Amino acid sequence: MRKLFIITAIVFAIIGIVFTVLPLGTIALLPIVLALVFGILAYTKSEGSQRKIPKLIVLVSALTILVAIGKELFIKDEVIVDQKFEQEKIESKEAAQKELEELDGLE
Amino acid sequence: MKKILFTLGMLINLTVCYSQIKANEKLIYAASYNMSGLMTQLAQVSIETEMIHTSKKTFLHLSLQATTFSKWDSFFKIRDLYESYVDPTTLKPSLYKRSINEGGYVKTEKYVFKSDGVSINSTSKINKRAEINRVFTVGNTTQDVVTLLFKLRTINFNNFKIGQIKSFTIVFDEKEFPISVKYMGKEKVSAGNLGIKECYIISIAAKTNVLKGKDKNLVWLTADTKKIPVQVKFSIPVGVGQLKLSNASGI
Repeated sequence: MRKLFIITAIVFAIIGIVFTVLPLGTIALLPIVLALVFGILAYTKSEGSQRKIPKLIVLVSALTILVAIGKELFIKDEVIVDQKFEQEKIESKEAAQKELEELDGLE
Repeated sequence: MKKILFTLGMLINLTVCYSQIKANEKLIYAASYNMSGLMTQLAQVSIETEMIHTSKKTFLHLSLQATTFSKWDSFFKIRDLYESYVDPTTLKPSLYKRSINEGGYVKTEKYVFKSDGVSINSTSKINKRAEINRVFTVGNTTQDVVTLLFKLRTINFNNFKIGQIKSFTIVFDEKEFPISVKYMGKEKVSAGNLGIKECYIISIAAKTNVLKGKDKNLVWLTADTKKIPVQVKFSIPVGVGQLKLSNASGI
């Protein structure tokens, strides 16, 4: 059972770290919290000398939770000014103006 | 994003009425997508209007653009632009343009609505393939998706009974789609900088596999003369999402 808890905790911790790196917001908290829970369960099932790995999992999970929450709190949802896209919009409007003039001429 | 826009377009329609759409409106929305049960904000959608003058006529330029938030740009960048040039009074379209860039998939499309009212000159291009030109016929009341989005705002829902349905047709991806719009009642919802607003709830259904579920594609329009789209919820084969108005100006 201890090994199962450790393996499960490691899998969720890896998923949690990947989700935290990706801009998935609070979704990253799901696997990390599970990693933390299984890490704590593994810790309680371990003898004194076997607690090194569960302790590490709990520590990594706790740190990842802090990073995920920090990202959610301090990184704002914003759109950067994309010069290429802005230029495309201007060109599209200029082309449309010409096309509408041509349509006027046909009517 | 194409599906989101299509859904937006479905929130449309009705009778030929006079436009209440003003130039220089700007509506900004946050688009979210449901991932593992939680809504994650992906992109900003903005809808704008502008008056355009040619030597003989005046057109209302309706545009909708979708841009992923910068944190998503490295993973899946979206830069979509949908435009329609319409008669300012009747909202009859003359020119429709679509330019999408979704994670490297690039498509441009242009429809010129011919003066006979039933044919469209279409030009489309996908990625680096050759441009395709064709002419196809449509019904005389068929409109592009952007125009329909605005036409929804010209409908007087006060005359609608709950459950009342009206059918329409739009052209998208060079195909015509029948759309039905159902009035579902009223509800108070948060409308960004407009505060809490009483809104009409409209259900959109299309005879296409783009939209899923019965009454799961909904639009909330402010229950006043402006009928600003405040919230959109959509259900597509790959999940559910929503658009929420964050800022409205020039209305």
